[in-house]
Amino acid sequence: MEEQGIIFISGGVRSGKSSFAEELAAKLACDSNAQLHYIAAGQASDPEMMDRISRHIKDRERRGLNWNTWEQPRDLAKLAPCFSKNDVVLLDCLTTLLNNEFFQGKWQETSFREGMVSSIIEAVRQISDSCNALILVSNEVFHEPHTENELVFYYASALGNLHQKVVSLARYAFLVESGVPLMMKGALK
Amino acid sequence: MHFVTGGAYNGKAKWIREQYRLTSAPHLWLSAYNNDKLPETLYHWSDNNIVIIEGIEQWIKAGAGSSEPEALLEEWTEILKVWLDWENMNPQRKLILAGTDITKGIVPTLESDRKWRDITGWVYQRIMGLADEADLVWYGVSLKLKEKGQRG
Repeated sequence: MEEQGIIFISGGVRSGKSSFAEELAAKLACDSNAQLHYIAAGQASDPEMMDRISRHIKDRERRGLNWNTWEQPRDLAKLAPCFSKNDVVLLDCLTTLLNNEFFQGKWQETSFREGMVSSIIEAVRQISDSCNALILVSNEVFHEPHTENELVFYYASALGNLHQKVVSLARYAFLVESGVPLMMKGALK
Repeated sequence: MHFVTGGAYNGKAKWIREQYRLTSAPHLWLSAYNNDKLPETLYHWSDNNIVIIEGIEQWIKAGAGSSEPEALLEEWTEILKVWLDWENMNPQRKLILAGTDITKGIVPTLESDRKWRDITGWVYQRIMGLADEADLVWYGVSLKLKEKGQRG
């Protein structure tokens, strides 16, 4: 199968972005008999999160596909050696991964935030080089009035920065609006 | 007039700099984010053919407390007309307005924030109507909302 590279998918909550990402991954894998991998960044830290995670797992099982699931709430680069050239890898989602890194570290420091974004980008590059398609799902969180809150300000600018870098590396980028994927970058064949 | 919108931290300013090659083109960049004053006229700046006015939503916020939404929308319409007159006087001139879309979050708890958000939505619709070109910038890539020469 032709190398697909990075595919970025973003949307609001319950926009259907995860379903679209999973269908796309399944289609790519099916075309070439590739192994499907699912990287879950969420941590089951409370009952609500456990419920959300189990709903996603059930959804994937229902579609009858054979996903290989990796739970990696931090240090994404560690997974780079786990894939092979033909594989289709789906990460859901970048926002959660960034949250986990951000609140673990010294988010008040510019150097920490920049280093965190660069290391995620570096991990994305490594994984993308090691597999056929890397699908990255993330959230739209940038359409509210600016906040005076320092934490939210730093968090949102780090996430915006990460998304801009990912989109510049991506071959395709989609914004999902109420279940409808809009292709913002790339061209369909 | 070219209207550039999109969410916060989506790379709107960078996109404008690249589109208009501003590293080599003389221009005036006025930004609410740098606490610049809202320019009531652009005639002082006639040395520069390219004027960018960035952070429309923040200037709207600054005025949002003082009067009724209808009156504010009228004030903005007047300002836009003055700016457009400046642009129309010389075909070399280009006016670029950049505004962050703040209208898609959950309803703000403060009444003043709700009012700010409402007025911003209305002013953006007015700007879009008057603009002859508009783009939505999403993480550095753009979606054309309005093509040149397609006014109204």
